[in-house]
Amino acid sequence: MFKYVVRRVFQMIPVFIGVTLILFILRAPGVLPGDPVRMITGERGMTDALRQQIIEKHGLDQPLHRQYVIYLGNLLQGDLGESYQRGRAVTEIFADKLPNTLRLALAAIVIEGIVGVTAGIISAVRQYSFLDVLVTLSTSILVSVPVFWLGMLFQIFFGIKLKEWTGGAFYLPISQMSSAQFPDWAHMILPAITLASVSTAYVARIMRSQMLEAMGQDYIRTAEAKGLTRRAVTFRHALKNALIPVVTFVGIDFGVMMGGAILTETVFSWPGVGREIFLAVGQRDWPIVMGGVVIIVFLVMIINLLVDLSYALLDPRIRYGGGPE
Amino acid sequence: MSALLEVRDLATQFTTRDGIVRAVDGVSFTLDCGETLAIVGESGSGKSVTALSIMRLIQEPQGKVVSGQVLFKGDDILKLSDSKVRAIRGDRIAMIFQDPMTSLNPVFRVGRQIGESLILHKGMSRKEAFERAVELLDMVGIPHPRDRARDYPHQFSGGMRQRAMIAMALACDPDILIADEPTTALDVTIQAQILELMIEMQERTGAAIIMITHDLGVVADMADDVMVMYAGKQVEYGKADGVFYTPRHPYTWGLLDSLPRHDIDEKGALLPITGQPPSLINVPAGCAFHPRCPYAKDVCTTGTPVLTDVGEGHLAACHFSNDPEFQRRASQHPGEVA
Ligand SMILES: Nc1ncnc2c1ncn2[C@@H]1O[C@H](COP(=O)(O)OP(=O)(O)OP(=O)(O)O)[C@@H](O)[C@H]1O
Ligand SMILES: [Mg+2]
Repeated sequence: MFKYVVRRVFQMIPVFIGVTLILFILRAPGVLPGDPVRMITGERGMTDALRQQIIEKHGLDQPLHRQYVIYLGNLLQGDLGESYQRGRAVTEIFADKLPNTLRLALAAIVIEGIVGVTAGIISAVRQYSFLDVLVTLSTSILVSVPVFWLGMLFQIFFGIKLKEWTGGAFYLPISQMSSAQFPDWAHMILPAITLASVSTAYVARIMRSQMLEAMGQDYIRTAEAKGLTRRAVTFRHALKNALIPVVTFVGIDFGVMMGGAILTETVFSWPGVGREIFLAVGQRDWPIVMGGVVIIVFLVMIINLLVDLSYALLDPRIRYGGGPE
Repeated sequence: MSALLEVRDLATQFTTRDGIVRAVDGVSFTLDCGETLAIVGESGSGKSVTALSIMRLIQEPQGKVVSGQVLFKGDDILKLSDSKVRAIRGDRIAMIFQDPMTSLNPVFRVGRQIGESLILHKGMSRKEAFERAVELLDMVGIPHPRDRARDYPHQFSGGMRQRAMIAMALACDPDILIADEPTTALDVTIQAQILELMIEMQERTGAAIIMITHDLGVVADMADDVMVMYAGKQVEYGKADGVFYTPRHPYTWGLLDSLPRHDIDEKGALLPITGQPPSLINVPAGCAFHPRCPYAKDVCTTGTPVLTDVGEGHLAACHFSNDPEFQRRASQHPGEVA
């Protein structure tokens, strides 16, 4: 088990190298339009001396491969550099933003878990019923809807139209800035639902198919032959088996949401890591883009490792790191 | 005194895309306390469906018991309320399933799975049920039962899982144990051990056993009664001795001939039944066995034979069951008749 974890941690190194390398290639001159130094100085004219000073301050005078080596060296020490635009350390900036992203992802995961699993179970237990058809239909639509579009639709309907139609009652706040009359968490409802939407549909579908598969297994008949009630058979014997892949999906999805939140955070102006990266890309603020991506990649890998480890807890057939069976 | 279990004219059908499958069609038998009934027949002849119908475990709505009675101690299981049936299942009638590899739940410990019916039917606490599960595992010959009870099914070998299934079925001291091919998935030495174990258990608890198999050899030393099924129908039924030594149905002859029988003819080539079992959607008219029967006559293609008494409660469903000449020649040299 310990050896397994160590091995997995070592496997992260090439991933970091790969990710940072790709990002460095993207910032090589001529790959993407836009000169970061021009972005820093803005439209105003600037003396060559000042310009030179900025270049040196951010180490942009060095050849790209040198810059890369320096970046990796700093990364090892937990230093993600300084923002071009904001004059703050990247780690400091993300220390502010990360909790917001985590909060949103957590809310989305809770929605995904509860709504997705419940819908999937109902759908499976009442196969071919009206509810099942409803779930199947709505999940098919949901998985093909672009997230940003759904987010805007929610904003228009719940944030604006509902407010107009009901004279200010029953609407949902769109962003933190919208009003002070709501508790803090209320601002999270729409972005969290948006972020959770596609995944919830997937969870419902996986849950349904896993549940149906489990219900058809021989051990279900064994359980029925013991005289257990339908309910005990479904919710004890079938559910535990069916949940294993679903829990894995939800766990990995938590990692995916770190990165996937870029769209949702941008649409809802949610002050998280994703939106910060989105803004920084526009400004060619490379230290923030790289730092943000590195943080997300790191979180995703840690979460995946935790998911894999918890898998062993759920499924007795799986054991990591050798040892006697 | 009425029989422990009396099945009358049981018929079970499945609705499939291709049509209605008459999986069991008019099966009747009785079982007394401590008795062993063997149900034999080829694959697909309706043995498992018969067993599941008795337990009322046929999955509706695809499957349905369309007629018949299953009288357990006088009550018709098919008419009882769901909760009454559940009270019988696992407690009074228990079942060992065909495939030990898939019949245990992979995510629960073996001890817990054995104890489950004790908690349910005997009102035991988890702790008591676990202790009893350990005893049961010990009884079915699993070494280190206390440790093994905490194992998961994947840590058990096939033979051990089948022992665990037997322990599970015996947990509540059932009146009837239905064993659906309890040994087919196991290798030969283990098969013998498992059968030995079941005979031992029966002597200890006095349970009646319904033993399902397609291997007549397996039942020879176990069964009191034998029922032979073909295409969902009962073709021969009676005391084991009668069915074994004076079989009255050509299908039974075929089954017996496909066994290596050293006592009859050392050199004789095996005579397996030729052809395929019929589709249960379009069962052949007349006698369902006639397309494969080496002795079939015109009447066999049109008239459906009924089960008739050929003596001392020995029943057979063949138009010629009571034709003495045919019977004499057939039972002596089955291959040369006709
Ligand atoms: N759920 C089902 N849906 C449709 N047909 C079924 C179903 N269960 C069983 N059958 C059909 O019923 C017939 C009898 O099946 P059954 O399982 O009783 O055979 P069996 O005698 O137990 O055979 P085996 O020796 O292979 O176990 C088969 O033709 C099978 O295809
Ligand atoms: Mg079977």
